[in-house]
Amino acid sequence: MRVVIAEDLTLLRDGLARILRAHDIEVAAAVGDPVALATALEEEHPDIAIVDVRMPPTFTNEGLVAAIGARNRRPGMPVLVLSQYVEPLYARELMLSGAAGVGYLLKDRVADVGAFVDAVRRVAGGGTVLDPDVVTSMLSHRDRGQAMARLTAREREVLAFIAEGRSNAAIAAKLVVTPKAVDKHINSIFMKLDLPLDADDNRRVLAVLRYLQAD
Amino acid sequence: MTDPGRGARWDATWRMVLRQEANVSAAVGLLVLIIWVLSGGGFWPRWVWFGLAVPLALQAGVRRGLRAPWGQRLLTVHGAVSVVLAFTALAIWVLAGASRAFWPVWPALGLGIAFALHGWIRHGLSAGRERALLDRVDVLTRTRSGAVDVQAAELRRIERDLHDGAQSRMVSVAMNLGLAEELLDKDPQLVAELVAESRSSMLTALDELRTVMRGIQPPVLADRGLAGAVRALALHLAVPVTVAGEIPGQAPPPVESAVYFAVSECLANVVKHSGAQRADVDLGYRDGVLWVVVSDDGDGGASVTAGTGLRGVALRLEVFDGTIALTSPAGGPTVVRMEVPCELSSPRT
Repeated sequence: MRVVIAEDLTLLRDGLARILRAHDIEVAAAVGDPVALATALEEEHPDIAIVDVRMPPTFTNEGLVAAIGARNRRPGMPVLVLSQYVEPLYARELMLSGAAGVGYLLKDRVADVGAFVDAVRRVAGGGTVLDPDVVTSMLSHRDRGQAMARLTAREREVLAFIAEGRSNAAIAAKLVVTPKAVDKHINSIFMKLDLPLDADDNRRVLAVLRYLQAD
Repeated sequence: MTDPGRGARWDATWRMVLRQEANVSAAVGLLVLIIWVLSGGGFWPRWVWFGLAVPLALQAGVRRGLRAPWGQRLLTVHGAVSVVLAFTALAIWVLAGASRAFWPVWPALGLGIAFALHGWIRHGLSAGRERALLDRVDVLTRTRSGAVDVQAAELRRIERDLHDGAQSRMVSVAMNLGLAEELLDKDPQLVAELVAESRSSMLTALDELRTVMRGIQPPVLADRGLAGAVRALALHLAVPVTVAGEIPGQAPPPVESAVYFAVSECLANVVKHSGAQRADVDLGYRDGVLWVVVSDDGDGGASVTAGTGLRGVALRLEVFDGTIALTSPAGGPTVVRMEVPCELSSPRT
């Protein structure tokens, strides 16, 4: 798998590159500004771009804008956006360009190296990955009231994992239950929330995210 | 302003005096009337009544005048007294037999002119004061928005320094340690490198935090006061700086902070841009004004225009009605003089 990294702080850029290489992922290019990123994407055609939200010249949201731009030019281009603080608004904007092959993570998550590399592979494969903090704020912020109240505590846990983009198997492992139990929970959740059931993991994630984001 | 209690007592006293006088005048007037009826002479009591009436009228006029709003009282009282005097002259003319020459016109004219003059002067004075007040409001509006700008820029700078500095270093350390955890058994050599790098990163992060904290509130300023803090600042610079002068007391902390950062900015400019061999800082306090002069023997060419740090210094000082004056001809030398009016409290113990 080939990756392009866009991060203006040299220390972090090198750190990311080192982690990816240690897991046999090729770093095709490592750049520090949006213009160089656009060029690198053109030339290298990577499987995924890992982009920092904040880059020169204004250090506000250049990375986010560049990621969305890249996905508009090449629909479905997998992009994983990293940030030193989580802003649910950015997650939303990112997913407006389609939720397949999109990830939004806090840089702190990179410290859990195994999970980070797993997230990179998932996004590159067309999956969706959302930082748990973002999901928590989505779940708690909207006063879902009755709908959420109908879910049991366990079901809410499972819902959070689905929104983060995890597969059935991963959820089963995390909760230490059988995959069949997870299936049952998911059926129950989707029925209580009036969501269409789908065997495809990714479409499921999209359904949940749409539900959580709906105004 | 006298306290309201005293004003109320004055009022009560005046009222009582007026009442008493009215009572006495009425009593005397009645008495005189009785004597006149009994003695059957010419209508002489009118002079007595006139004599009693004038002070009453004067008092009533003055009291009416005093009720005007503050600032207009003197003028209104003057007007009231003028009217009473004019009518007094008229009354005398009538009582004296209404002779052909209407002489009251002269006193009336004189009183009128005096009153008009008084009014004209007052108007001139109050217009001047109003203009001064409007100017002051302009200055306050401008310096307030300047202060808000300076503060907003400072906060942005601090946020960016923390984000790019200490926070990013800690993220990097987390990454390194995460990788080290994974590779503990597989590649001890790399793990050793990662751990060493993490330690050095943390120390740098601490340094960066300290720098940010110094930029917010230098500890030495609270400890040693302005003069001491400037001396401490001068010790660290690449260019030799001599600090002279003393401040006999403690300026208000926000003023101290603003002046300290102003001097710091000037010295930073000296080191970065001037190419000077030496610099001098003189400070002192005279006639209610704290002053500081920073001079160097460098190339000159400094200015207080937008985009330079000195602009921010000017804005900060303006908030305290302070000023900055810069002489910096091309070729040098450069002299920056800053003044801030303030009160000093007793020196630190």
